[in-house]
Amino acid sequence: MHEWALAEAVISTVDKIYRENNKKSIHSVNISIGEIQSIEMDIFREGLKIILDEYPFGPEVFQFKTEKASFKCNCCGKEWLLEDHAECGEEEREAIHFLPEAAHVYMRCPYCDSPDFKLLKGRGVSIESVELDPGND
Amino acid sequence: MIDPRLVAVKKKLSLIKRILVFSSAKGGVGKSICAAVSALSLSQAGFRTGLLDMDFQGASAHIFLGTELCFPEESRGIKPFRIKERLDFMSFAPFSREHPVPLRGNDVTQAMIELLAITVWDELDFLVVDMPPGIGDEVLDILRFMNRAEFIVITTPSGVVIRVVERLLEMLRNLEVPVVGIIENMKTNESPYRTNSCGERNLSNSYMAKRFQMKLLGSIPFIPDMDELVGRPDALLCSILGLTIKKIMSAITRQRGNSCKSFLGGVNG
Repeated sequence: MHEWALAEAVISTVDKIYRENNKKSIHSVNISIGEIQSIEMDIFREGLKIILDEYPFGPEVFQFKTEKASFKCNCCGKEWLLEDHAECGEEEREAIHFLPEAAHVYMRCPYCDSPDFKLLKGRGVSIESVELDPGND
Repeated sequence: MIDPRLVAVKKKLSLIKRILVFSSAKGGVGKSICAAVSALSLSQAGFRTGLLDMDFQGASAHIFLGTELCFPEESRGIKPFRIKERLDFMSFAPFSREHPVPLRGNDVTQAMIELLAITVWDELDFLVVDMPPGIGDEVLDILRFMNRAEFIVITTPSGVVIRVVERLLEMLRNLEVPVVGIIENMKTNESPYRTNSCGERNLSNSYMAKRFQMKLLGSIPFIPDMDELVGRPDALLCSILGLTIKKIMSAITRQRGNSCKSFLGGVNG
């Protein structure tokens, strides 16, 4: 349930933006969920819903999209997607779920076998945008 | 794009009274053992203490503590490992096990933010942070995220170590980062008190401390059979290293946090 910690982080950040903008109503919050962290969306949404009880905006303002994970090798320069990887074991997947950087421990470039790659997209939870209600000054 | 973890990190760190960062510009000087034993000592003295191993590539605090690592329990985040009463511990090691961790700078930063954002510490009197050697990403990130951090710099009597550690002290002084003081580890009977090859300056830790107007907190003698203490927290606490650190920590706990000023006479083991 470390999805709860991420949900709390999202809400605290949106609340900070809300306060910094004279408590204008929140119209929408667009959240990007990186594929590599394998967030369990049911738990994440449930966490949001429960924590939001204490806040002046509800779960309906949150919009989610999943971002596919893509990688680029620093050695051979080739790019690939998470699905191009051989299946990781359960323990490895769990480690990457907690800390996406553990991917560098358990994954290799599928072309040259190097562990020296960068995660281009799809790492974790990020807020793409927060839209405030313009009619509520 | 907004990273929501940054607000969470700030919020979580606000529940910690003091953050002691064990750092050195040089490797192999005993940062991890000093950090681990300091955390043990603080918890034994009744303070709620956390130990955070930030040396992702060379994580070893769990080895000194003799902790078997598994995945942490989850409860509104991840729960640190309970080592002893009042002592909790977190590290990258549960996620990497004994495998190599080849991370570049940005990955180190990302992993640090993630670990700080999702670890649910209890309210702590002290968070002891074990740093990797050097003045790289980890130190810069600690300065960025933990603006209340107080540094404890670990050195040895080696002239080479002293010359490298001086660079860290210079950076901390220039950035006006609070430094509690310097711990000299592995002190031998014939502690060097010498000049460099050009005869220009004195290479000793007491001289270095004086030059940077920082306190030499104490000296820990070289322990030839150190490996016999590894993984045995109680034996570590009873060793000359443990007893010296206990005196140092006792003085630190009597001091108000976040101070650059010298505050106590040195302690010799």
